[in-house]
Amino acid sequence: MKILVLVKNVPEVAEAELEIDQGALDLEDLEMVVNEWDNYAVEEAVRITEASGGEVHLLTLGNEDDEDVLRRGLAMGAHAASHLCDEAFEGSDPATLARIFATAVKGGGYDLILTGVQSSDLGQASTGVLLAQELGLPHATMAIALEPGAGEVVVTRELENNTSEKVALPLPALVTVQSGINQPRYVSIMGIRKVRKMTIEQIQADDLGLAEEALGAAASMVDSQSLALPPMGEGAQMLEGGLDSLCDQAAAILREKGGLA
Amino acid sequence: MNPLRTPFWGVEWAWLFYLLAALALAALALGLWEKISLWAQGRRAAPVASHKHPLGAILADVFLGRRIWRGGASAGLMHLMLLWGFLGLFIGTCAVAVDHYLVSFLQGKVYLWFSAGLEVCGLLLVLGLVLAVARRWLLPVPRLERRPDDTLLPLWLLAVACGGFMVEAARLAATRPPWEAWSFLGYGLSGFFPSAQAARDLFPWLWWAHAIISLGFIAWLPWSKLAHAFAAPASLYLQGQPLAVLAVAAEEGELAALGLRHLLHLDACTRCGRCVEVCPVAQAGEPFSPRDLLRRARRQARLKYSPLYRLPWLRDRRQALLERDRAADWDVAWYCTTCRACLEVCPVQAAPIEMIRKLRAGLVEQGSAVPPQLMDTLEKLHRYGNPWVAKKGAKAGWAQGRDIPDLSKSGPEVDWLYFVGCTTSIDTRAQGMARALSDVFTHCGVSFGTLGKKEPCCGDIARRLGEQGLMEEQIETTQALLNKRDLTRIICTSPHCFDTIKKVHPLFSEEGLPLQVLHYSQMLHRLWQQGRMFFDHPLPLKVTYHDPCFLARHNRLVDEPRGLLRAMPGLELVEMADHGLNSLCCGGGGGRMWHEIPGQANLAVRRLEQAAATGAELVVTACPLCLIMLEDARKTGGFEDKFAIIDLSELAARALGLAAKDGEAQASA
Ligand code: SF4
Ligand code: SF4
Repeated sequence: MKILVLVKNVPEVAEAELEIDQGALDLEDLEMVVNEWDNYAVEEAVRITEASGGEVHLLTLGNEDDEDVLRRGLAMGAHAASHLCDEAFEGSDPATLARIFATAVKGGGYDLILTGVQSSDLGQASTGVLLAQELGLPHATMAIALEPGAGEVVVTRELENNTSEKVALPLPALVTVQSGINQPRYVSIMGIRKVRKMTIEQIQADDLGLAEEALGAAASMVDSQSLALPPMGEGAQMLEGGLDSLCDQAAAILREKGGLA
Repeated sequence: MNPLRTPFWGVEWAWLFYLLAALALAALALGLWEKISLWAQGRRAAPVASHKHPLGAILADVFLGRRIWRGGASAGLMHLMLLWGFLGLFIGTCAVAVDHYLVSFLQGKVYLWFSAGLEVCGLLLVLGLVLAVARRWLLPVPRLERRPDDTLLPLWLLAVACGGFMVEAARLAATRPPWEAWSFLGYGLSGFFPSAQAARDLFPWLWWAHAIISLGFIAWLPWSKLAHAFAAPASLYLQGQPLAVLAVAAEEGELAALGLRHLLHLDACTRCGRCVEVCPVAQAGEPFSPRDLLRRARRQARLKYSPLYRLPWLRDRRQALLERDRAADWDVAWYCTTCRACLEVCPVQAAPIEMIRKLRAGLVEQGSAVPPQLMDTLEKLHRYGNPWVAKKGAKAGWAQGRDIPDLSKSGPEVDWLYFVGCTTSIDTRAQGMARALSDVFTHCGVSFGTLGKKEPCCGDIARRLGEQGLMEEQIETTQALLNKRDLTRIICTSPHCFDTIKKVHPLFSEEGLPLQVLHYSQMLHRLWQQGRMFFDHPLPLKVTYHDPCFLARHNRLVDEPRGLLRAMPGLELVEMADHGLNSLCCGGGGGRMWHEIPGQANLAVRRLEQAAATGAELVVTACPLCLIMLEDARKTGGFEDKFAIIDLSELAARALGLAAKDGEAQASA
């Protein structure tokens, strides 16, 4: 089975202190990591080919540094990777992205295309489905189990309140993968170094034969207007100082507000 | 009549004996060949460097069994009798062969002394064997297992020895040579034969029984645990080997490959159980035993490397067994805290710390059997240079309000780099150590700086978890920072950073960085000795000191911390049951700080039970991991009203009157 997985490099933000610089997240102090859902998708694809043969190809769209996300996937066991890397792609909305991906993917002969349910940075959860639409493929979202069979794949979809639904799709098909579908393997530094020499196919706008108007912000119907950090809650007060002084201040506040009898 | 030996006295069918002997020797040779070709592959996997361990010490360990005596007098005595009895008889047998086939020299006085000598060796062997069986079945030595071959082997050897005496007794009873009393045991036994004729009739039967049992033993020797007779001296000889470090370019699977030394360790282990007895993990009742791990590793090494398992009809079985073991790897790989207690007591230096690292390296390389919490830890280490928080630059927080030169930038020269370490700079409890130390250094006029928020992880955690590539990356990052400002004198808070920077970092530098690395307890001790630090604030307290494994066992530093404690006025130092080199691990090493393991026990609580028994009001340690583990156990184990936990650095600051600025010395005792 030939499987394509779309992957994306995203900033890790869970514990970080975020700052916004000119309407965008300041990436200076942030680490880029593989989008969590995509990681599950890669693992699932690699497991399928480990069990029953085939090939896993990876595809990402991003700048030069985003190649890391492909190397990581190769170290997990993917067989080949392509990198859509061109300034012309910047600012594309999901529909435009889907069009770009569709052009790149067409004729690849993939039986199955996997993407994460969504990306953790923008969370639109639509590129995958839109790509299925562009390619005219059947699709299923939020997969928590995949059972590939002859000519079809049976997908278990996660629904609300722990219910799930099983659907069968004829191949080729596109499935967006939910987190928790598996336990992705650890990727060691040694593993990444070992795939250092594998060539990654570079794809630019010209190679796709897409007109400039069909790419980037110019072609997009959605325009990002602003980005905002979570507002500081009403009444929140940040204390500063060493541990003892913090405790004293906290105790004083509690006492003052009647919290300590 | 001239006393002399009578070979094959009255026994017919000597050809049959030769045939059986040839078969037995073939089995012996096959067994040895299997072992040697297996060991030889280890040499390929990791070359042996020249070694520096003093030969005298090795000989004493081998021929006097020094390390065995340490495990108890009965063990030492038993081994000594067996070893010398066996050796003597072996030499005697060789002499007989020489006498029979080459030059005849066993006659006259020589023969008489020779006979008497053999009697002594035989007696030693028999006594040793009786003691061995008694220790296992009658004496309370719980560390000994009672597996079938543990019993069969000594009984078999006993049959060999007793059979020899009976044969001799029969011959003496039948012929009554005038020199018979020289063979005093055989002579004594010869009285049991009613007549010379009875002895003559019984002789061939006894002879053949003895021959068959002996040849059977020879055939079994290399396949039994007595193979340690070959592997243990070699293992002891190789103990001084430098740490094996493989280049990053290692091919797939090589990181987990065992070197010659490791393969020898596997065969050197006699399953004596000393390691199990001291292993904090096994003792706390977690499902792990270093001895079982070695046994399993031996089986795996055999499956992987033994030429016998290449035989076509064993190949499938080999594959099946390897698969089964692989599935179970996880179960044993992550328990060890790398406390080194096992190696301390192992008579043959075989205990499995390195083996565990190899096992982990294999799992990390393969990827799917790394516990999720450890995966998260390793990823944090990789991306953020610390195992605690997914945030860059978290390492300088503790120093807020202190004016400490940042040596990652250019600036004035200082004498020392203070390497704070991940845990000490980030964990709120351990940060007290960093603040206390920087205050003490400043107070004593030590010129020092830190690497500020650029300080990398030293690589210890990655190393202990088997993430070799990450470790190398971190060592390179650290060295690049050191080289930038020619920093060679380093003080570490954590015994773990200390151990790694001191022992492992130099292996990765081509020029062999001339580093001078100190643990802070050494530095404080030095300052005190030089009179630059004077403890003038009495602390009328009864304290006990918990030796961190990486200070005491891994680096033999037990006196410096105690010297400091004794120098503090008013302090009374009492020792716990296990202390110094025998310290009991807090359970925080080997990556255990960062994940929960199935069947986990609270190792630190066991330690604090010992502390409580001393009646101390304060438990002092000198390691951020110990500090956190013990502090947690104090709360969860219900010791809160018994004693407080404090780090030596914090205590030193108090003894110097450097009042805790912001609550580091929570110990209010
Ligand atoms: S590893 Fe050493 S201490 Fe443990 S059982 Fe084997 S020989 Fe004994
Ligand atoms: S190093 Fe410590 S925890 Fe690990 S096996 Fe040896 S005694 Fe047990």
